[in-house]
This record gives sequence, C-alpha cells and structure tokens, in this order.
Amino acid sequence: MRSSVSVILSSPAPDTRMSHPDYDQIAQDHASILILVHHQEGLLKPKSFTKIWDKIRRVNHTKVTDSANVTRQVYVRYVKEYPVESNDWGDFQTHRRLLGLITVGQYETQTDLNEICRVHESLKVRYTSTLYDSRCILFGNENEQLKTPSNFKSLPLWYTDTETCLDLEAQVSELLNSLFWVLESKRQLFSGVSPIMSRMQRSRSQERSREKLDRVPLLLAPFERKDIVGLDLESRTNKKKCMGRVIKHLGDLSLQGGVPHEALQHYISAVDTLRSVNDWLWLGGAAEGLCAASVVVLYPGRWRTFPIQRNASLPPSPGKRRPGSIGPSSLPPGSLTPAPAVMEDAPKALSPEGILRRYQEAIQNYAKYQSAGMIETEACFKAAQIAIQQGCPLQAASFLKNVVLINLTLTEQEKIQRFLSLSELYTQMGFHRKASLCRRLAATRHVSDQNRQPDWTQCYNLMLQALDGHRLSLDPTERAGGGFAEGWPALQIHLLQQLVVAARRMGHSALATRHMTFLLQTMWHHLSSTEQRDLAKQLQKLASECEGAPVPLVLDTRAVIPPANLTNIPSARNFRLQDLPLHLRPQKLQKIKEDIGPFLYTPISFGSLDRKSTRSQGKMDYVWVEGDVCEVLLDLSNPLPFELKVSNMRLLASDVVFESIPSSIVLPPDSGPHTVTLSGVPKEVGELEIQGYSTHTLGVKSNCQLKHMPRMPQPSFTVEVVPALPRMEVATPAPKNSLQVPQMDTSISVTSISKSLYAGESTECQLTILNSGSQPIGLLEISAQCVLDPSQLRQVLQWSADNIQAQLPLPPGGSASLTLYLHGYAEFLAPPRNDMNDTGSQPSSLLSGPSSLPSRFGSLTSTSQPSRHHHNELSSGSFRSQISSRSGSSVGSSRLHSKLYDPSAPKVVDCQLKLKYSGGPGLEAGYCRITSLSLCLEILPSVLVTSWDVLPAETSSQFYLVLDVSNKTQGELELHYADGKVMLFEGSEECRIAVPVERCPLSKLSKLYQNAELSDTERAEIDQVCSDHVASLVDLKWVLPVSGRSGKASLRGLSLTQDMLDIVRMSPLQWEVLLNKEVAKPLSELTCVAGQYLQLGVTVQNYLEWPLHNVALALKFFQEYQSGIRNYRLDSHLAVAGAPNVLLAQLDDQGSAYHECNVVFFMPGLYKIDIQCSSNGRSANSVSSGGVVGDSPPAHTWKLIPPLEITVTDP
Amino acid sequence: MAVCIAVIGKENSPKYVSCLHSENELQFHYKVHTALDVVEEKLSLAGKSNCDVRELYLGLLHSTEEHKIFGYVTNTKIKFIVIVEAANTTLRDNEVRTMFRRLHAAYTDVVCNPFYIPGDHIVSKKFEGVVRSIMCGNS
Repeated sequence: MRSSVSVILSSPAPDTRMSHPDYDQIAQDHASILILVHHQEGLLKPKSFTKIWDKIRRVNHTKVTDSANVTRQVYVRYVKEYPVESNDWGDFQTHRRLLGLITVGQYETQTDLNEICRVHESLKVRYTSTLYDSRCILFGNENEQLKTPSNFKSLPLWYTDTETCLDLEAQVSELLNSLFWVLESKRQLFSGVSPIMSRMQRSRSQERSREKLDRVPLLLAPFERKDIVGLDLESRTNKKKCMGRVIKHLGDLSLQGGVPHEALQHYISAVDTLRSVNDWLWLGGAAEGLCAASVVVLYPGRWRTFPIQRNASLPPSPGKRRPGSIGPSSLPPGSLTPAPAVMEDAPKALSPEGILRRYQEAIQNYAKYQSAGMIETEACFKAAQIAIQQGCPLQAASFLKNVVLINLTLTEQEKIQRFLSLSELYTQMGFHRKASLCRRLAATRHVSDQNRQPDWTQCYNLMLQALDGHRLSLDPTERAGGGFAEGWPALQIHLLQQLVVAARRMGHSALATRHMTFLLQTMWHHLSSTEQRDLAKQLQKLASECEGAPVPLVLDTRAVIPPANLTNIPSARNFRLQDLPLHLRPQKLQKIKEDIGPFLYTPISFGSLDRKSTRSQGKMDYVWVEGDVCEVLLDLSNPLPFELKVSNMRLLASDVVFESIPSSIVLPPDSGPHTVTLSGVPKEVGELEIQGYSTHTLGVKSNCQLKHMPRMPQPSFTVEVVPALPRMEVATPAPKNSLQVPQMDTSISVTSISKSLYAGESTECQLTILNSGSQPIGLLEISAQCVLDPSQLRQVLQWSADNIQAQLPLPPGGSASLTLYLHGYAEFLAPPRNDMNDTGSQPSSLLSGPSSLPSRFGSLTSTSQPSRHHHNELSSGSFRSQISSRSGSSVGSSRLHSKLYDPSAPKVVDCQLKLKYSGGPGLEAGYCRITSLSLCLEILPSVLVTSWDVLPAETSSQFYLVLDVSNKTQGELELHYADGKVMLFEGSEECRIAVPVERCPLSKLSKLYQNAELSDTERAEIDQVCSDHVASLVDLKWVLPVSGRSGKASLRGLSLTQDMLDIVRMSPLQWEVLLNKEVAKPLSELTCVAGQYLQLGVTVQNYLEWPLHNVALALKFFQEYQSGIRNYRLDSHLAVAGAPNVLLAQLDDQGSAYHECNVVFFMPGLYKIDIQCSSNGRSANSVSSGGVVGDSPPAHTWKLIPPLEITVTDP
Repeated sequence: MAVCIAVIGKENSPKYVSCLHSENELQFHYKVHTALDVVEEKLSLAGKSNCDVRELYLGLLHSTEEHKIFGYVTNTKIKFIVIVEAANTTLRDNEVRTMFRRLHAAYTDVVCNPFYIPGDHIVSKKFEGVVRSIMCGNS
C-alpha cells in the first residue's frame, strides 16, 4: 500500500511552471465546491461509470440551512480529474481547491476491493492539503461479506449494481452538506479580519477570530512563495496587503458558501485595499471575484445544469459541441439579460457592461505576471463567455484575441485543447472563419514537429471540421449548384491540400484520393495551369495507392464524405445521343395519321396540348431497340499538359436495364476536342434515361452526371426503347461484270449492286438475305424507289414476291434468296436530228420522200425548237443586249434537256430497293426495319434504229419495215431479225434491214372507223395501237459474238406517219383486181402488149361493220420515173374505155362492188395503176345538210397497196 | 504604408488581394479572411442600431502583435481591407481613412468600366497602380 502511494505521488513530477488551464470554467464556477469523481477502471465499465457520473451530476446543488436559519444554495462542480498544480492555486482562488472526493469502483473479489480502497486512499493523500471529505462508491455482490482494509478510513457506499443505487443522490447531497459546513467554518474563521461584516455575524465571529486568528496570514499564489524571502512582513504596506488578500479570500469563501451579496462587499473592499498597495495580481483576483459574484447575483439560474432528457443515441455534431462540456455556454448568445428586479436587489453588483470592464481590468493585471498565465487565460475565456451570452461578440473577440499570445508552458495536447476551446467560443459568437482557423491550427498542432506523438487521425478530423468556416462543403454537387462565387478559393485550396496530406498520412488513401479529386474538381477554375498539372500528377500518385470510386466514404466518426467526380478531366462537351444507323432504325409499320384538321398548319393545337406538356425536355424523337447497340457521342478535351488515359468510359443510364460497353481513349496533351463514342445495349423495353457517363482517369472513377455539369444542354436524355427487332443482312454475289464500289463510310453499310447492261440485255441477280439478329424475320416486304415511274421501273427491275413470302419466316441465322431480274430497258429509236441542215444533205426518208419523214420529229419540234431558237439568237448577234449569264444558263439547260433524249448515250438507272422486315416482339409492337439496297444499273447502248420506214410487201397481209440500224457498241454485233435472218455489224456500223411484218388487223383498229370524228387523243391511241403492233411483231435480237451477250431490241414507241400507217394498217376495203378475168396477185409480174386492150376489173369489198356512202372508186394510171416524180398525164400513152372513176352510192357492210373498164396502152413501158377508194364517211346527210363542203370531215382514201404495176411490152 | 490590400465581394469572396511581400501571401489571406468575421459582426450591429449609414469606415477590425487590420464597406457591401504593420505607430486614423477613400474611388472607376462584370475578379492596371501607390505610402 505504501509503495503504491509513493508511485502515485511520484509519477507526475510536480512542476510548478507547468499549468493546466481549464477552458471549460465559467464565472459561476467561482461559487462552486469542487469535487473529484474518480473512475476506478478495471471491472467498472466506462458505460456504467457514465451512468453513475450522470447520476452524481444531477445533484448540482443542495440547500443548506445555516446557523442563522438562512437557506443557502450551495453549488457543486464535479471533475473527473484534477491536476495537483491547479490545487496549489487554491489560496488565490478558493474554488480551485478540491474539497471532495468520490471514488467509483466495482469489485468481485477481495483483491479488487483492496485495490479500490488503495487508490482511494492514495488520492486522498494526493489532495490532502485541500480535501475535506470523501466517499467511496463500491459495486459488488452483496452476498459476499467483504470488508474494506483496515487502513481505509473513508465512508464506503455499497451497491449491487448501477441500477439500484437509489439513494446515491441523497448520499452525494450528504457529502455536499458536510463539505459546506467545513467551508462555512473556514469562512467564519476568516470573517473576523474583515472590516465589513453584518452586525450579527460580527458579534459572533469577532470572538472566534480573536481567539484563533491573532495574526493575519499572508496568502500567496504558488509562484510568489519563493519571492517572499527578504520581505519586510511587518511593514505597513505588507500588512495592508495581507489584509486585502484575506478579504479577497473571504469573498471567495462567501461566494462558495452561497452568500454572494456578502462576497460582493468583500470583493469591493478588497479591490480598494489592494489597489492602494499595488498588489496587481491579487487586485486582478479581487476584480475577477467581483465579476463572478456579480454574474452569480445578476444571472441566477444560469448554473451548470444537467440536461435530464438527453438522447444518448444522437451524437454531438462534430465541431459544434464537445461531449461533456455542458454549461450555460450552451445558451444562445445574447440571451443573457438581468431582470430589473435583480438589479435593484443588488445595488453593489456590477452592471453587465461593468462586468466586462472589470474583467478587462483583471486580465490586464494578470498580464503583468508571467506566471499567472493560466489564471489570465481562464479569465479571458470566462469573460468571453459572458460577453457572448450578453450578445457582445466584438467584446468577446477582444477578450479572446490575445489568448494565444499568453505565455504558457503547454504541452502540444493542451495547445490543441486551447485552440479547440477558442474555436468553440468563436463558433458561439458567430465568427465561423476564426473558429475554422483555430480548428485548423489545432489540427496542425496534432502533427507539429514538437508533438512527439503525431496523430494524423485527429488532425484530419479537425481539418474536416474547419471546412465549414471556409464555406466548403465536401459535396461537389452543392458547389456546382450555386455559391460558386462564395468562399475564398486560395484558402480553400490550401485547406484541401492540407486535408489531402492529413488523410494520406492517416493511412486512409481512399480519403486522400477523394479529397484530391474534390480539390481538382471544384477548384479547377481557380488553379493555375501549373497547379492543375501538379495536382493532377499528385492525384495520379495517390490513386495508385487507392483507387477513387464514386461511393460515399463513411469515416469512423460517422461523418460521410460524399463522392467527388472529375468532370473537368477530361472536359466534355456536346453530349449527344445518336440515332441508330439508317438501316437499323425502327420504323412504324403503320404510320398513324395525325388529325391535323383541314389546314396544313394551324396555331391551334387540337387536344395535343396535354401530350406536349407531358413530353419531357430531353426526350429524343427517335427510338432505340432492345438488344441493339446504341451510341452516344461526346467531345472530350484534355486540359492537362500530359497524356491522359481515360479508360472504362461507360454510359450511366437508369429506368431500364442497360448494358454499357466500356471504351477507352488516350488523349494527347492539351488537345481536343476528340469525339468519343460511348455505346451500350438496352436490355429492356421502356423509357431509358441517359444521365451521364462514367470515366476512369488518373486512377479515379467518376460518375459524371449531366445535371451537375455546366455547359450541358440538358440534365438528362430520355429515349424510348422498343422491343427487339431482327437484323437482316443482304449479301450480293460478286458477279464478274459488276463493279463493287467501296463504301466511304462503313457504318452506313448499304449494300449496293452495280451492273452494266447493254440496252435490251437481261440478266438475273441473286441476293442472299441473312438473318443476322436474334429474332426471326416474319415479315419481309420489298419495294423499289427510283426516279423512273413505276411502270418504267418494272421494265428494268422485277422480282418474285411470292418466292420470298414462301421462304418466311426466317429463323435467326437462316438465309433466304431473292432473285432480281434486270433488264436493260432503253429506247432503241433515235430521235430526229435537231439540225435541219444535216437532214437536207442526206435523204431523210428512205423511200417515200419527205412525206414519210418520221412523224416523231413533229412531236419533238416543240421541245427542240426553243433550243434552236436560242442558238439562232446567239449566233445572229442580235441578242447582245441580253444578260449573258442568263442566256448561258438557258443554253446549258437546253443542252441538258436534249441530252436526256439521246438514247445512244449510256443511261444510268439509280434505284433504291427497300426491304422492309420485322419479326419477333418488335413486329407485335408495330415496328419494322428497312434495309436499303442501292442498285446502280448502267445501260449501254447496243443497237439503235436511226430511222425507219415502211414498204408494202408482196402480199397485202404484210409489209416491210425498213430500219436503219446502227451498232453502237465497239465490237461486232450480230442482229437476228425476222426468221433466221442475221446481219453482222462491225463496231459503230450502220446498216439497213427490212423486216417483214404482218399488217395491223382491223380488229385492233375498230375504233378508227367507228366514229368518223376522232379526237386527237383517240387518234393518238390508234397510232399507238399500230405502233405497238409493229413493236410486238418485230423481233430484233442482237448478239455480241465476242462476249456472247445478247439482248432484244424493242421498237416500242415507233411513230408512224399517216402514209406509213396506211401501209401498216390492214385496209378495210379488200381489193381484188382482175386482169382479163384473171386475178392479179399483188407484186406479181403483170405484162401486156402495147395496143392490146386489157380488161381491168376491180372488186371492192367492205370489211367494215357499217356501210360506206358515196364511195368514189378511182383508177389512176401513172408512170414513175427514177427521180420519184409521178406522171399522171398519160393521155398520149393510153386510153381507157369505160369510166375510170365511179361513184358508188353505198357500199354495204360486208358487201362488195365490182367495177370494170378496159384500157389500151399505146407505148411500152412500166405503168402503174393507183386504185383508190374514197369515202366521205357515213355522214352523207350531214354533209348535205351542212352545205359547206369544207366543213365536212376529210374523206378517207384507201388505196390498193402496192399499186398495180403493168409492164407493157412491144408487141 | 499598408502591407496588404484586399477587395472582398458582396458574398465574401475575394475580388482582389495584393500584398507588398508576396512570399507570405497565404498568411495575409488568412488574416483578411478571419477579419471578415468582425466585418460581418459590425455590419449586423450597424443594421440593428440604425446608425449613420453614410459612415463606411469600420475602423480597426483586429490587431495582432504584427499587424493592424482596418475595414471599410461600401453601400453595395463591397469590403475593403487594409493591413498595416503594427510597428507603424505614426499612422493616424485619418490617414487610414484617406487610403480607403482612394481605394473606393479606384474601385468605382473599375466598376464604371463597361467591360467589367460586377462580381468578377478585378483585373485593372489602373486599379493596380492605385493599390501600389497606397501600399508604398505616396498618397
């Protein structure tokens, strides 16, 4: 036992220079009795002790009735530990004396009990100079009758457990009571020396003082003891000093004893006495005592109170209040105003302003003594607290401003404590910046060079608390939202850097990375470029230790560090969603027609107002497809002067399951913007919201939310995801003669077929359709789009839709084939030449002269004439006044125009084959896809019919179609025409061929004769019928012997003049010519001898379905010369017996007429007979009634074709 | 005369800070920053007491062993902070007031510039010149 006592006594070396300021002290503590509650660690758990401690503290005062029957309030202050050095100041200020001791301990065995008792006794020894009474609270099993050791001389309080100690409060009150009485006796002892006494007290105490206190002792502060040597104790000054100090001491005791009014008097007296002897330290003490007494008097009920309702589960928020410091300081500042009644009650008490003034004075006096630093510091804190409560923060600040400069020998820990207390007070007075500064300084103290036990965790936690005062929130989103202009960037950067260091040294790399990320993110615009680079490098280094991730970090202190995301590195712009590639874009199968009313545009929206309002801002007007890769483009720039690796870039999406496909990019130093494609696959149907993207750069993972990024057009993008659709690929075989043009952009992988065909050639193209998706293709529709009209397109391109439908549905991975039939459809008829001069130089007509000039010319003159007109005007020079540019353009256009009609030039047909397909859930939802196939067909000229004419054939049922055919190819060409007739052309050679063709039967031409008055369109129709008839019968096949390619030339669109038509058409009148009663066959050789008469009989049969009226039958003899001139004046060459002209009144339908005459040729030669019939139609009556011949429709004339030829020989 | 001059915006963020000796600029930043507490307190007091609003000079905000910090607030709540060395005992209150008046005039000129957006950092050669001359003491 003895040894242990000595250990305790020796362990803390008493160092008078060392002082331990108690920053929690308040002015009211001057009036409290100090009791130490010692927690005997070991079996008693801290939690249990806290319970006991709270119970004890609930007894914060007790009411005592003194000898004069006056009830006094005695207050108490409990401490858990108390330095002996502070106890030494007990003479200077009595409230520093430790008067009571309570030891709390738990035992199980005798040994435990002995140990508790030993510690209790040793503590008693330690504070023996001041201790009045003590208690020992013991928890243990009641059944075991254990006894305290013999040397234990305190009062033990036995309890079984912490819950059942019901009389504990009473016991503590009892202790308090006993302490009071000791104190009171002391007070009585000193009161004798005091000149001011209440009369009643004086009478009693004077007696006692006289007997006990003969001499006034000189009370000393601890540091004064060594200075006392050599002082003249008997001097008058010293005596006065002694007296003053004792009066002050008496004031202290009175204050503690619950008689503050008396204390006030003592203090006032002491101040006067001490001032006269220049005892500054004690004068200060007296002034402070006066203040304390005034505070007690003015503000009753402001004592340290123990909050009964205390929610222990609520942790005190960091930086606001430290646990355990409960006191009046927790009151809101400025709430302290004394009641007027109290002011009147205590006329001697200082006014609120006076208290602060007196404190100022006391502090100034203390400051004169270097060794009184602790007292000064505490006084400053006490004064500041009062000032705060009085609502004078500026005053409080003036008290606190020099606290740091007070010379105190403090350990680092105590310095930290000082800063924290300061910070606490500054916070209370609303000086958050100052409070933060103090916290930061406290934090740096934790790790200063002097500190032998650096504690980075504490440092970090304090740094964290300092953020508030710098208007720094660790949530970057708050900063981005607003308050950008707030705060002090330079200091914030500094603080954050310190925070990073602290976090790193603390060993929490994740935190360091987080804070560095935050620093770079939020302070980016305030950093210089070198700082940006350095910090980025540092971040990279930090992140190599622990990767940053966008999750909140929870510290041991339960503080949550929100995630920080780097959105500036790399800086992003132009976040934009991409529609699917054209061929994968889903289309609505059936377009819903919107009811837009009768107007194309209307400012009134019919019922669409609601729909528009619900449509969110970032909604895309296209859709994405479930299971298909979709893309988002982003422009990234690297603001750092080194290469930046950004990996694992993904899209952040919500609402719909979305699989992001990570991508990486390396950005060169100081460069950008680089466009990056982020892609992903939606896995569900619904509204997909794209919120941003995530990056992994500099070792930090960031979730860059668009809503937190300035310069982004929208906080999020929404796009609708439609059900899965199949994917189809179309493969074309690579034919030998097709040229595959490489596509510039592979993303628009539109298959293209390009083929070149000679005009009239046909070929097939086999397409393979492959289902490359995961859904079956259940629907496939093919359509073609082209500049050509559909009928023309059908000539060029054909396919079998039934064949395709039969191959459906196409399972995933399956393939189908589609055959395209291509035909080199072209015009084979040359247009008439534009240049009239040229036509003059060569025979335009083959046989029948200008009259049989292709009538096609006539149809084209309207288009060709304007161009000629221009030419003329330009060449004539009379057109100078016109603006040249305009004329130039018009010339250009006319050239273009004429080019279109040039069939000899290669023609290119560009065609889009659209394959509309769908299947699976997408089909049910009404979506499909369209794949386009571009088809480029070049049609090269093969043969060209430059001009044509018709000739009557030998038989009346046929005629010859004479064609000038030109070979437009470069090589040899065989032309098969008619039956087995072949002609071989050299390259670019032109040849003339005659093709026998059946004449157009009357059955096709019935319309012509049905009504005499034919409109233009009907006439054109009939012409068309003839033309088609010819075209269908003439079968021109060409073969290129070299390549073996072949084709057919069509004469479609052949235009025939009226003369030609007469030949082409089957005549409605059938002729039968009898020569000397013998039937003369057409084109047969007819001979007769000159001078001999020839009987010429003509039978005309009407094959029409109606009778003809006024039919004039005429026989005309003529001779034809080589020049083509006909000579009808043959009076000298022949003579006709009988009428060469007869008029038949009516020729019935299917009826026939016979006319006969005789003819005698005088001279030999070739004679021709033109036999013709003319009728003025059926409307003979109309002619007569009309009266005017010119008005009647022109009579049609039918001729015998070919004309009858008779060779007359010499007899 | 002055060792540090600062212009603080309405929202208490720095618009301009200049120090005579740039080596310990951060320290001055902290000083100015903490002085804002006092400025705010004084302003709130002035608001309550409804005293003479024309008085823009706040007087001594804070004094340490090394420095004295003076404050001045314009009607638009722009704060000017001037730090002078505590050793300079010859400096009178009137001179400090003069400094602030010159600073205010210079600031007014800056704001009058149509290209200056109020709230931005002050980047002006002319203003810089005035601040330099105040710091050097040739007023």
